[in-house]
Amino acid sequence: MARRGTLAAYGGLAILFALLPLVLDPRGYEMRVLCLVLLFAALGQAWNLVGGLANQISLGHAAYFGIGAYASTILQQVAGLSPWIGTLAGMALAALLALLLSVPTFRLKGHYFALATLAAGEAMRVIANSWSDLTGGPVGISVPFNPGSSVWMMQFQTVRPNYYIFLVTLILVTALFWRIKTGAMGYRLRAIKENEQAAEVIGVDTYRVKLVASLLSAAITAFLGTLYAQFQFFFDPDTIFGLAAFSVKMALVAILGGVGTVAGPLIGAAFIIPMEELANSYFGNSAAGLSQFAYGIVLVAVILVNPYGIVALFARLRGGRRRDRASRGGEARP
Amino acid sequence: MQTIYTLTQTLVDGLLIGGIYAVISIGLSLVFGVMHIVNFAHAEFLMIGMFVAWYAWAWLGLDPMLGAFLALGVTFLLGMGMQRVLIKPILAAPQVAQIFLTVGLLFALENAALLLFGADYRSVSTPYQTEALSLFASGGERIIVPYAKLFAFLMALGLGASVWLFLQRTRTGQAMRATAQDATAARLMGIDTDRMYMLAFGLGTGTTAFGGAVILPYITASPTVGSQYVVLMFTAVVLGGLGSVAGAVVGGLLVGLIQSFSALVLPIQLQNLILFVIFIAVLALKPEGILSRRTG
Repeated sequence: MARRGTLAAYGGLAILFALLPLVLDPRGYEMRVLCLVLLFAALGQAWNLVGGLANQISLGHAAYFGIGAYASTILQQVAGLSPWIGTLAGMALAALLALLLSVPTFRLKGHYFALATLAAGEAMRVIANSWSDLTGGPVGISVPFNPGSSVWMMQFQTVRPNYYIFLVTLILVTALFWRIKTGAMGYRLRAIKENEQAAEVIGVDTYRVKLVASLLSAAITAFLGTLYAQFQFFFDPDTIFGLAAFSVKMALVAILGGVGTVAGPLIGAAFIIPMEELANSYFGNSAAGLSQFAYGIVLVAVILVNPYGIVALFARLRGGRRRDRASRGGEARP
Repeated sequence: MQTIYTLTQTLVDGLLIGGIYAVISIGLSLVFGVMHIVNFAHAEFLMIGMFVAWYAWAWLGLDPMLGAFLALGVTFLLGMGMQRVLIKPILAAPQVAQIFLTVGLLFALENAALLLFGADYRSVSTPYQTEALSLFASGGERIIVPYAKLFAFLMALGLGASVWLFLQRTRTGQAMRATAQDATAARLMGIDTDRMYMLAFGLGTGTTAFGGAVILPYITASPTVGSQYVVLMFTAVVLGGLGSVAGAVVGGLLVGLIQSFSALVLPIQLQNLILFVIFIAVLALKPEGILSRRTG
């Protein structure tokens, strides 16, 4: 009963978002904000695959995001390749990096995993900044401009087509997350989250399960990096590999909304991105740093009020199933 | 070919900067050792220490070496307050919440500094700033030890030794170590662990701020200066074993040496890349050793 209702709610939401651009100015500011909401919801969903289900808190997902953005943009610059093709190279590279990182990081838990992934993300930033021949270095890189609209080159007169690409991607990624969460792999990942040794004992190949989840997560994040590059047309290493701009924010979207839940990243993105844009446009010119300051304060405040996220807060207000209990996990102190 | 002079100079440079890394890492390690909290915002206290010392120099005419004690005091109180209001409520919360609380604190502190102090780089001028010791001079070759770096190193060494003595020799220090080992047992022995947590956090932030203040004569202060030290600090602490104060000193000196020696063979931008790799490798190869400290 609940499941059919939930499905209908998601369907209604998707239709609402599909119709929304019809009443908005296709060149307007609201459309750009909505695009970012969809992008970050999808990023949060991709992060959730490993961070939420297996409770491996990555603070370095910007590495994959940046690789996706750079790969498609560089291939466009030097070979005129379509970003749809270029992104495949980016996704493959991101998956390769995830594979490499899995060797040193998969035995780590909690703070240690977070620290190691943070260092990995920062390392990519250093590489992108210093390898100027390839990336253009600290000054950044622009997507080559092709006049006219073209789906093949993923360049459009307005952001409306970008919006639909983001929306379709988000729906697919959400569906994938839901499939994995409710399938055998989801149970294995949650077994790892609850107690990795016990999972091993009952026959879960923990390394392989985590690896598959992180390869998927990395590849999706890289694809979203390409979409972002084609939406933004310009980026530099400090932004795209940035800790605050992407690594933390995509995790935050999932965590504030409710870590490990399907609805979490959707709620988190719908809450954080407009709030941030509002703060930016409100304070933007008056004082540098004020919106980021507010961002930090809100983050601290939300965690102090409820460390289990907004979804858990709703669940508790409803007096419902106490999903917060279910979403804490992995914290059994010896 | 590197001459013996170049190598000795590199060694001296590495040790001088490593001493600073040691003192700023002691603070981070202390906080982790006692509370099992990884404070991602810790480098921001280095920045706060630099600004306190800068204002002490600009308004009161205090040399940063003296201003450092003011920085220590101010951030000690600030850290105790923050522990009480922000860290204490999440001590038993999931690690996700702990990580993101300190990350939020990082953004808040860095941008509060930007709002309060502006984005300008600030530096001090001291009489010894451009002077340097010249050792073993012969035939145009010599070892140069800038006074600013030497003084900062000695100050860092002095504070590190004081913290160590405090932890080993005083009753409060022993109580703090007992809390780190087993908080429940410490409580049963009548130790006020809440007070120990506050003291440890204050001491941790204060020590790091002190390290920030003493380098002010040769590093310019800005609201984002902390971000340059985050990975250095964590690498030093992880190298020496998270939670160990003596380990942080060894780790800090090692990081300084790695940095200065890698500069001989690598372009300057890639210096930190080596540290990232070492950092991940150490985390990967020694996780049990590091983790086993948690249950004490």
